[in-house]
Amino acid sequence: MPSLPGFTVDIDQNPYLPVGGRDVSAVVTVTADASGDMPSPGPGGPAGGSEGSAEIIIVDCSGSMDHPTSKIREARAATAAAVDVLTDGTWFAVVAGTTEAWAVYPTDGTMAVADDVTRAEAKRVLREMQANGGTAIGQWLRGAYQIFQSCPATLRHAILLTDGKNQHESPEELAAAIGLCEGVFRCDCRGVGTDWEVKEMRKISTALLGTVDIVPDPAGLAADFEEMTRGAMSKQLPDVLLRVWTPQQVTVRFVKQVAPAIDDLTGRRVTSGAQAGDYPTGAWAPGESRDYHVGVQVNAASIGAEMLAARVSLVASSADGQQVLGQGLIKATWTEDEALSTRISPGVAHYTGQAELAAVIQEGLEARQQGDEATATSKLGRAVALAHQAGNEDTARLLAKVVDVVDEATGTVRLKKKVEAADEMALDTRSTKTVRVKKG
Amino acid sequence: MTYRCPSCGQPFDAADGFCETCGSPLAPAAVSPGADAGVLECPVCSADDSAAPAGVSAEGYCESCGRKVPTVRDHVELDIGVAAGVTDRGLRHSRNEDAMALACTVGPSGPAAVAVVCDGVSSAPRADEASLVAVRAAVRVLLAAVRSGDDPAAASVTAALAGGRALADLAGPAGAPAATYASAVVDEAAVTVCWLGDSRVYWLAADGSDSRFLTTDDSLAEELVASRLASVEEAMASPQAHVITRWLGADMPDPEPHVARFEPAGPGVVLVCSDGLWNYRPEPADLAAMALPAAQADPLAAAVTLVKFAVDAGGADNITAVLAPFPPVWPESLSRR
Repeated sequence: MPSLPGFTVDIDQNPYLPVGGRDVSAVVTVTADASGDMPSPGPGGPAGGSEGSAEIIIVDCSGSMDHPTSKIREARAATAAAVDVLTDGTWFAVVAGTTEAWAVYPTDGTMAVADDVTRAEAKRVLREMQANGGTAIGQWLRGAYQIFQSCPATLRHAILLTDGKNQHESPEELAAAIGLCEGVFRCDCRGVGTDWEVKEMRKISTALLGTVDIVPDPAGLAADFEEMTRGAMSKQLPDVLLRVWTPQQVTVRFVKQVAPAIDDLTGRRVTSGAQAGDYPTGAWAPGESRDYHVGVQVNAASIGAEMLAARVSLVASSADGQQVLGQGLIKATWTEDEALSTRISPGVAHYTGQAELAAVIQEGLEARQQGDEATATSKLGRAVALAHQAGNEDTARLLAKVVDVVDEATGTVRLKKKVEAADEMALDTRSTKTVRVKKG
Repeated sequence: MTYRCPSCGQPFDAADGFCETCGSPLAPAAVSPGADAGVLECPVCSADDSAAPAGVSAEGYCESCGRKVPTVRDHVELDIGVAAGVTDRGLRHSRNEDAMALACTVGPSGPAAVAVVCDGVSSAPRADEASLVAVRAAVRVLLAAVRSGDDPAAASVTAALAGGRALADLAGPAGAPAATYASAVVDEAAVTVCWLGDSRVYWLAADGSDSRFLTTDDSLAEELVASRLASVEEAMASPQAHVITRWLGADMPDPEPHVARFEPAGPGVVLVCSDGLWNYRPEPADLAAMALPAAQADPLAAAVTLVKFAVDAGGADNITAVLAPFPPVWPESLSRR
């Protein structure tokens, strides 16, 4: 196994508990080293012999993509733009999705290795891509799953574009397909227009450790696809696990990614040894930094006692074995000094607010759709106040398209009479995006 | 007068460095052990016989229940006959950053006890190691000097500076470690004390009449009192009461240790202690009432009493108390071994 880059693990917590206190929580900032022996990006890469990365672009080719025709046209252009920024040596394929998954390039359902020739071939072939058929997104995922099996790459990423709901298969079929793909490849999901469902796409992006977003105007697809592909190309370290070791009698209450976006990983624990569990974090780029909020419950001990409440480590997992790349300690100490035990660490306070912000936005939008204006006003008002407090300027801007803000500090708002569907969906998809703690 | 070897009990000549019979060095020094001493195991988990023994992580936590595993250093009792000491983590601190070293020897003028106490400054890095290396280095210098009959006052200053150099060697990117320092040489003629910071030496008179401070703290509180800006009560109540103004540390290359010589009028006991003890009972007469008369015959029992008192009173800091009876008596108990 090559020597992998290290991770720096910083713990922001107040370890002091009052007499009888049991809940310990900490914000864990994980940062991959900016340099190190990263695996090469592909079989043609400088290190040679590395298994590299693989990219599949899945484009919705249902009949609705032709209405307006700009959707399928821009989707073709966006796919071409993504193909153009693939690093030489990257495995890639393009899939058209209807009620089935069609291998557009390469046509035999395998993957090509990116170079000037294959990129040109792919762009020529995808001009023939037509919008004609239904929508069964589970089938698209299964198709991508099959195609990924044809190449040895360990860094597997897909881009999935849709313009509508998953009409031609059951939610169970989609869920089964998501389950099949979990841990096999990562997937960023995009919806073009406003006829698709945020919740449906979020299920896929959450399980497959990716993002979800709306592209209201098809003209915006090319730039977005290019950016996603560049992002995927920058990831060089596959399958990193967040391992949480806890002493006996200590239970993990939650493990959440809280930056750059909120993603509750609690239910995704895979037991690894008697007192440890692993949570997937996907692939990492050099220098990339993310925050996690970890909460555990310990048994209360006497004043002055000190214990290790949890040990958080980053573990690289591959066929060759596992390697710990960095670790940090979450501690607990009991004190009678209330000045110590009542202090809340800045990181924990900040992300508790950010999690509430995401929740009140989603609850507020849901209430609004159900015509419960009182609940919607109070939830979205709270969201405005939280976004203002924490400095989430992007979220505040999106909120202002859904409500009229009377006073942002107190969260006094009025629901707008008319709201663009695209604005509402943008607020929903981006509700989980967080800002980090203000420094200084 | 005949002295017996503490190791084999045979008589020996005071001028020699080693026992003629068993070859033991005649100046045994006892130093409170460091964190590396002894095999550690979690007391909570090892109490359960049915469970497999749990390991201890590199950071000192039990791999089973997660508790900080007490180190040998959390509570140490040393007894070398002519002096005895106890150091304890207390209740509030997660480790013991106090250290003590005791030694006895027979110099040209008779038996002598040597005691050194350091209190690592918690706000500086590696406070636990700092106090330990300082007492180790200092006691070595003091012992050699007393054995060869050097002037105890000059030797005390040299020893304190040696302790300071040993501690300065620990300085690194995280900063300069620091510690308080207090030493006492108790021979048949006098008590020689040396100090920096707010660890103290007390004279506790056997007849209760003349107990007194042998040191004056290098602290803001003491400066306030000395300059008549505050009463003792007001000064000790201020938040800066424990801010020390001199210490051993790489950031204080020439700390100018204080040295003083005291000739007791009668028998009694010398107490060398850290602020973890005197915070709860600062007055010499009060400490004497607690330690005496036990301290004269059984200094360890008296030191245990003092430290237990401070733990029971709150144990807010690490606590160290070393007692050395005056005049020093080569213990009969050692010769019976």
